Amino acid sequence: MKHYKADLKKATGIAIATAGIVVLWTLASAALGKPFLPSPSASIRALWKLAAKGSLGTHALASASRVLWALATSFIPAATLGLAAGRSRRIDLFVSPIVYILHPLPKVAFLPIILLVFGLGEASKIILVGLIVFSQILVSARDSARRVPEQLIDSVRSLGATRFDLVLRVVVPSALPDLLTSLRVSLGTAVAVLFLAETFATETGLGYMIVDAWARVAYPEMYAAIIALSFLGLGFFIAIDLAERLLCPWRPYRT
Amino acid sequence: MVELRELAVDYPSGYANTRGHGRVKAVTGTSAVFPSGGISAIVGPSGCGKTSLVHAIAGLLVPASGEALIDGQPLRGIRDRTSVIFQDYGLLPWRSVEANAELPLIIAGLNREERRRRVRPLLAELGLSAFRDFYPSRLSGGMKQRVAIARALAAEPDLLLMDEPFSSLDALTREAAQEFLLEIRRARALTIVVVTHSIEEAVYLAETVFVMGGRNPGSIRERFDIPENQSARRFSPETAIPGPREQDFRAKPRYLQLCAAIRASLRTAGPIDDAEASR
Repeated sequence: MKHYKADLKKATGIAIATAGIVVLWTLASAALGKPFLPSPSASIRALWKLAAKGSLGTHALASASRVLWALATSFIPAATLGLAAGRSRRIDLFVSPIVYILHPLPKVAFLPIILLVFGLGEASKIILVGLIVFSQILVSARDSARRVPEQLIDSVRSLGATRFDLVLRVVVPSALPDLLTSLRVSLGTAVAVLFLAETFATETGLGYMIVDAWARVAYPEMYAAIIALSFLGLGFFIAIDLAERLLCPWRPYRT
Repeated sequence: MVELRELAVDYPSGYANTRGHGRVKAVTGTSAVFPSGGISAIVGPSGCGKTSLVHAIAGLLVPASGEALIDGQPLRGIRDRTSVIFQDYGLLPWRSVEANAELPLIIAGLNREERRRRVRPLLAELGLSAFRDFYPSRLSGGMKQRVAIARALAAEPDLLLMDEPFSSLDALTREAAQEFLLEIRRARALTIVVVTHSIEEAVYLAETVFVMGGRNPGSIRERFDIPENQSARRFSPETAIPGPREQDFRAKPRYLQLCAAIRASLRTAGPIDDAEASR
């Protein structure tokens, strides 16, 4: 495989960065000597213990499933609406004002309202995270659909393509890399917001785990949960990379 | 046969996807007859409406007034047997060479087997067999051009419109592509309309050269017939000797005279650029 070498390089890069963080962390922890900054090894031991107990898996799964649901319920509608708005002036007339109002808003600030309206259950958390992904994808889908070269549209139209053909064979593939990029960008925000959402009215999820350990002054456990949340984000990142490689094989592969 | 009757074309000003911001006149009152089964060329300075005219003949633009007839039938929108090759080839970057060439057949709803049966020989004819699975980004300009030709021919057209097809190729590739076009013409019953800004190219390729002039709107001003290039003599399989004979024409005084006459016609047809237009 031609990707093999590039992948190895990427993995090596991540490993070196991780090693660097661990070294810095060890030094800082030793220099400070305070309980709120335990050594990486103590944190990893806690991570191990939590994993063995099974609670880490349960919480990580709860968090992952919230992110997945948020992505699943917001990506498709946002991409569809955004692409439609980018290609049709009439639809854009409705969508653009919504974008301008919704996108710059700090959606986290709506947490109380969302909790009041949708209750304290899973729905609120998924909606909060989904909202953030939604507006991000909507904006980039719209802009990307606008950028489809007219000449490509004309050339496919001249082959007798229907509107549906144009969307399926020109607009969607042309916007796909942009959509995946915006998904990658919004994912970072989504994980951050997930943490916040999980500090309220729940007893599952890595966010809850962090806050719970913090309250119990179980610092190694708190760091263990933070590490787990970071790995969750990394996992999603890698998943999107793989999706891009699978869905956009025409793009020259970059490391 | 393509016939234009007092054809006028306009397009919306501003961005292509905004509406109701007034329209720019591109072509006005143009009448012309493009003979069947041969190569016609349209020459003119940039901005004279050549591309708009081709879009109108392709059915991509609805004429503002007048009409275009193909084989005596008034043109209504996009036609099955018209293929268009655009300046930048219009290949889809996410489709391989073969998948690009198959596109018209996919849109027509043919199954995989039927598509293969029609496209594979074309790819072979165009020397693209080895590059079947390549994405366009990995091909040179000349190769992309061939893929665009393969895609155009896959639809089995009787009318092939080419908008500045060779303008982004280097000189040698360009000459090879011209020979190649003549070869394609020789093997098929095909009417070809080539838009070009190169006088030499027009005189070398076409039996009929139309000179366009004016600007917003422009129109066809003059017609030159070049019987020497007529398909019957030049393209019949028995008499066609590719290479020396065809290159001969470019060395003949008649060729140079024609180039000079068309150049003179272009000069008198209207402003060549914006600076002259505003004088």
